[in-house]
Amino acid sequence: MGPALLAQVAVNALMLSSMYILMALGFAILLSVMRVLNFAHAVIYMGGGYVCYQLAVVYGLNQWASLVVAAAVMGLFGLFLERFCLRPFFGDVNRTIVMTLALIVILESVVNILVGTQVRSLPAFASGVIRSGGVSLSVERLVTFIISAVLLLVLIFFIQKTKMGQQMLAVSQEPTGAVLQGINIYRVSAVATTIACALAAVAGSLMGAIVSLSPYMGDHMLVKAIEIVILAGIGSIGGVLGAGLILGTIDASLPILISGCATDALGLGIVILILLFRPQGLFGHEA
Amino acid sequence: MGMRRLTRLTGYAIVIILLFLLPLFVTKPYYLHIFIVTLLYIIVVSSLRTISLSGQVSVAHAAFMGIGGYFSGVISKELGLTPWLTIPLGGLAAMIVAILIGYPFTRVRAIYFSMVSLLGGMAIVNIIRVCQKWTGAAGLAGIPPLSPINIPGLINIVFLGQKVPYYYFTLLLTLVSLVVLHRIEHCRIGMTWKAIAQSHFVASSVGINEAGSRVLALAVGCFFAGIAGASYAHYNLVLTPNTFGFLPSIFLVMYMLVGGRDRFGGPIIGTAILVMVPELFRGLKAFAPLILGAIMVIVVFLMPQGIAGLFDQIRARHGEVRNRKVPGSAA
Repeated sequence: MGPALLAQVAVNALMLSSMYILMALGFAILLSVMRVLNFAHAVIYMGGGYVCYQLAVVYGLNQWASLVVAAAVMGLFGLFLERFCLRPFFGDVNRTIVMTLALIVILESVVNILVGTQVRSLPAFASGVIRSGGVSLSVERLVTFIISAVLLLVLIFFIQKTKMGQQMLAVSQEPTGAVLQGINIYRVSAVATTIACALAAVAGSLMGAIVSLSPYMGDHMLVKAIEIVILAGIGSIGGVLGAGLILGTIDASLPILISGCATDALGLGIVILILLFRPQGLFGHEA
Repeated sequence: MGMRRLTRLTGYAIVIILLFLLPLFVTKPYYLHIFIVTLLYIIVVSSLRTISLSGQVSVAHAAFMGIGGYFSGVISKELGLTPWLTIPLGGLAAMIVAILIGYPFTRVRAIYFSMVSLLGGMAIVNIIRVCQKWTGAAGLAGIPPLSPINIPGLINIVFLGQKVPYYYFTLLLTLVSLVVLHRIEHCRIGMTWKAIAQSHFVASSVGINEAGSRVLALAVGCFFAGIAGASYAHYNLVLTPNTFGFLPSIFLVMYMLVGGRDRFGGPIIGTAILVMVPELFRGLKAFAPLILGAIMVIVVFLMPQGIAGLFDQIRARHGEVRNRKVPGSAA
C-alpha cells in the first residue's frame, strides 16, 4: 500500500467514521435518555437526504441552506415523533418498537409514492481535489468530515457545559432520580429527539451527495449505528466516537483487500467477538 | 369451564376443517400461494414467540430461516438428496448455528440481546452472500422441488408446479409445529423460560441454568425457523439473501408484537392479518404498504397487548378480569 493510497484510505476512513458517528450518536442519545430503540432513525436519515434533495435540486435553493433547512425540518419531525409517537408509550418497549417500525413502513412508502424508487444523488457540496506530492484528496470528503467534526464538538460542549445537556446526562443515568430533582423528563426527551433527528438528517444529506439517495438507504446505516452503540457500550458518548472510528476504519480499508459483503461479515464478526470478552462494550459500564 | 373448553375446541376444529377444504373454494394459484407463504410465516413467528418466552426477542430469525433454506437447498442440489430428508437437516443446521452463537449471546439481556442478535443475523446473511460458490452470485436457483410421493396402486402425489399438494404439506407442517410449540410452552421447560423472563436473578437462585435454558429456547425456535425456511426453499425453488436480511427479521418481530406476545394465538393472528390484508390491496401498488402502516398504528394505539389481547381487553371491560400477560413482556 503506497502513501497515496494510504492517505486516501485515511481520509475515507475519517469521512465514513464521522458519518457513522453522527448517525450513531443520535441513536445512542435516544437509547440512553429515553430507553428507546429507535428503528425509525433509518428513515429519518433517509428523509433528511430527500428534503435536502427537494430543496436543492427541485426548488433550486442554495445547497448549504438546504442542508440547514433539512436538519431543521427533521428536527421538527423529531419533536412530532417524541410528542405523538414515543411519549404515549413511555416505558412500554414493545409498543415503541411497533410504532417506530410503523414509521419505517409509512415513511418509506411515502417517499416511494412521492419521489419513486429510482436512485438519485445530490450534487457535491464542494468540488475539487487537493493534490500534493502524488497524494490526491477529495475536498468534498474533507469538508464532510470537518462539518461533522464541528457538529460533534458542539454537541459535546452542549452535553458537558449546558444545563440541558447535564439534565440529559442525569436522565440517562437515573430517570427516577432525575424527576425527583425537578427535571422535566419530557422536555429533556423532546430536546434529545430533536438533536438526534437533526444529526441524522445532516448525515443523510451529506451521504446523499457522496453516495446516493434511495428510500432504503437508511437500513444499512441503522445496522452500523447499532453496531457502534453495542461496540461502544450503552451510555458512553465518548465510546461512540471510539467505536465509530474503529468501524469506519474497518469499512474504509478492508474493501480494498476483500469484497464488501465479506467486510460487513468480518466487521460484525469482530463486534461479536469483542462482546464475548466484554459484554458491556468496549467503553461502557455494566449494562 | 368445561363448556367453554368445548366451544373453543369446536372452534379450532371448524377452522382446521375449513383450512383443509380451502383448495375447493380457492382455486386461483396466486391466492393459494399467499396461503402457503402465510402458513410458513406462522411457523416462523410462532417459534419466534417461543424464543421470546425466555425474555429474549431475537431480531435474527429471518437469518435462521435462511440457514435452513440455504442448507437444505444446497445439499439437495449438490448431493442429490431428497428434500424430505434435507428439510429436517436444514432445521438441524439452523439449530446448531443457534446453539453455537447462542452461548455468547446469553451474556447480554433484554433490549441488548435484541441488538446483538440483529448483528448476528446480519453476519449470517453476509456470510451467505460471501459463499457465492454454493449460494450463487444472483441467488440460489435450481433447488429441487419436493420429490413425489408414489406408493404404487395407492397414491401418486407430484409436487412440481402444483400448488394444492404444497398447500396440504404446508398446512400439515404448520399444524404439527404449532402443536409441538404449544406443548413445549406448557411443559416444565416452558415454565422455566417464563421464570427467567420474570427475573433471571431469582430463576438462577432456585437452581435454573439460565444460559442453558435460554440457549435451549433459541435452539427450539431456530429449529422450526430452519424447517420453515427449508420448506420455503423447496417450494419457491429460488432463494436470494435479501429474503432473509435485516428488514424481514424486523418484520417477523413486528408480526409477533402486532399479533400479541402474551398469547399463543397472537403470532398466528398477527401474521395472518399483516401478510394477507396488504395482499387484498395489491391494486393500490405503492400505496399498499400504507395499509400495513395504518394497521400497525391502530393496533399500537388501541390494543396495547396486540390484536390477540383484544379479547382480554373486552373481557376486562365486562368485569371478567383475567391477567394473561406473559411475565417480562416489557423486556
